[in-house]
Amino acid sequence: MIKTRIEAIMNPAQRQSFVISFTAFLSTLLLLALVSVLALIIYRGVAYFWPAPVYSLTFVDDQTEQAKAVYARVFSEFHDQGDAVRLVVYSSSDAPHGTQALIDEDRILTLVESVNSADITLNDGLSVLGVPVQIRASDNVRYSEQAYASVAEKVSSIEQQIEDIRTRWLSAIHQKLSELDVRGVAMDAPAREKLNDAFRQWQNKIIKLEDQRDNYTLKIAMADGTTLSVPVASIEEIVFPGQLGVWGKVGVTFGHIGQFLIQSPKQANTAGGVFPALFGTVMMVFIMTIIVTPFGVLAAVYLNEYAPDNLLTAIIRISVSNMAGVPSIVYGVFGLGFFVYVVGGNIDALFFADTLPAPTLGTPGLFWAAMTMAILTLPVVIVATEEGLRRVPNGLRAGSYALGATKAETILHTVLPMASPGIMTGVILAIARAAGEVAPLMLVGAVKFAPNLPLDTEFPYMHLDRQFMHLGVLIYDGAFHSQTDAEGASMMFATCLLLLLVVLVLNILAVLLRARLRKRYLTN
Amino acid sequence: MLKLFEHETLDVQNLSEEETAIRVEKLNLQFGQKHVLHNISMRIPKNRITSLIGQSGCGKSTLISCFNRMNDLAPDCRYDGSIFIGGRDINRRKENVSQLRTQVGMVFQRPNPFPMSIYDNVCYGLRLQGIRVRRYLDDAVEQSLKDAALWEEVKDRLFESAHILSGGQQQRLVIARALALKPDILLLDEPTSALDPLTTLFIEELMASLKKRCTIVIVTHNMQQAARVSDYTAFLHQGKLIEYADSDTLFTMPEHKQTEDYITGRYG
Repeated sequence: MIKTRIEAIMNPAQRQSFVISFTAFLSTLLLLALVSVLALIIYRGVAYFWPAPVYSLTFVDDQTEQAKAVYARVFSEFHDQGDAVRLVVYSSSDAPHGTQALIDEDRILTLVESVNSADITLNDGLSVLGVPVQIRASDNVRYSEQAYASVAEKVSSIEQQIEDIRTRWLSAIHQKLSELDVRGVAMDAPAREKLNDAFRQWQNKIIKLEDQRDNYTLKIAMADGTTLSVPVASIEEIVFPGQLGVWGKVGVTFGHIGQFLIQSPKQANTAGGVFPALFGTVMMVFIMTIIVTPFGVLAAVYLNEYAPDNLLTAIIRISVSNMAGVPSIVYGVFGLGFFVYVVGGNIDALFFADTLPAPTLGTPGLFWAAMTMAILTLPVVIVATEEGLRRVPNGLRAGSYALGATKAETILHTVLPMASPGIMTGVILAIARAAGEVAPLMLVGAVKFAPNLPLDTEFPYMHLDRQFMHLGVLIYDGAFHSQTDAEGASMMFATCLLLLLVVLVLNILAVLLRARLRKRYLTN
Repeated sequence: MLKLFEHETLDVQNLSEEETAIRVEKLNLQFGQKHVLHNISMRIPKNRITSLIGQSGCGKSTLISCFNRMNDLAPDCRYDGSIFIGGRDINRRKENVSQLRTQVGMVFQRPNPFPMSIYDNVCYGLRLQGIRVRRYLDDAVEQSLKDAALWEEVKDRLFESAHILSGGQQQRLVIARALALKPDILLLDEPTSALDPLTTLFIEELMASLKKRCTIVIVTHNMQQAARVSDYTAFLHQGKLIEYADSDTLFTMPEHKQTEDYITGRYG
């Protein structure tokens, strides 16, 4: 019926071009959706690092109904029930570290970009918008970049001294004191007194140095004429967005990106960097790959090379494919119940009984997370490897047997190398899946904040039992806790972008490796 | 007629033990329900080229695969009867099949070099034997490639992938790979059917030069080839050995009507 209608309106050539346009239209839609998501993430992600202009803003305060002058950053403009509103973060004298507000367009009196005001980032991740006017040291100096640089240098040299005392003297004394504790030396023994005296001396010196350091302050003028003093030691960066050219801004952006990559999160994951999460993600994926590859490959070898072609094998094969469709949170619950409580708990009971009830391995950690992700990605590796094994020509197997190779030797020396591109495909898919997975990780070891990296200089260097941070978990956490936080939300976009890049880089590495293997094991 | 090595013609029906490389006795073989070889008994003479001819599906490839037990790879293959090689029955359950296959080399229809370097291809079998001594391997590679008349063409690119070689070169490489194990018997399953006529001729000459060192059994579809290269020819039809004699006799004065029909091209 429909067919005849179509045939009535279109000639064969038109019909063909209609099919092409229709399929092309759907592909375009898909592409468009992908590109827009990517564009949003890239735009918002990069904008997080870009030094945004600081505005000088006066508006009528909702509560006091009085005009208020502030320095502000404008995040977005939108319409809220017909009224034009702006989302701004401003510094005022009563809240220098920034207040976020939605301001009606008609309550804004003036909004001009301020050339003199700076975005001053503090060490703890907060920032102040204002005009640096004066540096106070032994004498007061008008703010200038050179003056600030020389003061900052002095401050950092004092901090270096404090750090030196801490590491060279205080920790040595601490160690000696704890040795005395171990030996059971009396609390009033002269040796102990002597050490305590030395300790106090050094501590006094530190306090003196700290006072000296805190003497250096920066006076910042707010928009309403009041001033604010901030210790120079607590300032991380001063940027004047209004005075930077495009290249200057690009430079600052790269600086911010660098800081983002090497710093730890600050202010409950809404500021600072994401290094621990980046590190945790990559490490978890690597360990997962190391676990899943041999398991998946061996399972696929059995299924494809050894298992008899019967109903049981067919059922196993279908089950493996179905495993790929199980919701990932189910794997998380399984990992928690089986790996953490059963396996970890039993290991604790057998080998670490003296520290119970405090768990050693019976608690979520990096290794259990990697194991859980390995199980989650196992079907992908098995299916791809089987596909690769099936593609190995039987002629090559026969050639190997004819030279006196046993089945195992044939698989090891001929079949597996030739299937390696297929195996790599599976590993690529597994990596992509594991790097982006969040839900199961939250049950088996990924946390919002981990005080230590899973890799450090302390024996045994790799702490697989530690909890770790993960980019996906960070995004989840940030996205749900900073719905109204303009800056925090921007950071989540930046983290998203980073996670995408991590997946991309891991994939590119694997694809390159696969291309090399393909070239090497190309069959004619 | 191209014959590089003339020698006395033996009577294949009455070979002595010393002259026999392979003795087949009452061999029956089935794939599942399909009876492929019927009660075959024959003696294949040492250091001669024996060819198996017959229509597609007559069981000649299956028969040649019995000599190194390649049929074991098919899961539903059952056989009885005996095949004696080097004085022992290789159809015994206890037979060490891997070792047998180093003794009885096989070359297939399509060249199947491994995706490795030329050198590694030739070493494959030796390395499986546990031979790791570099100098020994080097010598074996050179000797085998020389025996397979490939050395001059590849000596400068031994460590390049075997896939850069042409089809004929690949087939000679596969022969060299089998020769590296110094087999007593070399089985060739339609070795030239995927190659062009000139390359085919080259391989045929190679076979003639190889029979000094080993017994060659070749399956071929090409009657001219069988007549050209082989000393003895067996004709199979529907899984039965119809006629087996020296090639001159078989191709000029066949005893059986079926043989005559086949070699004159009346069917097949």
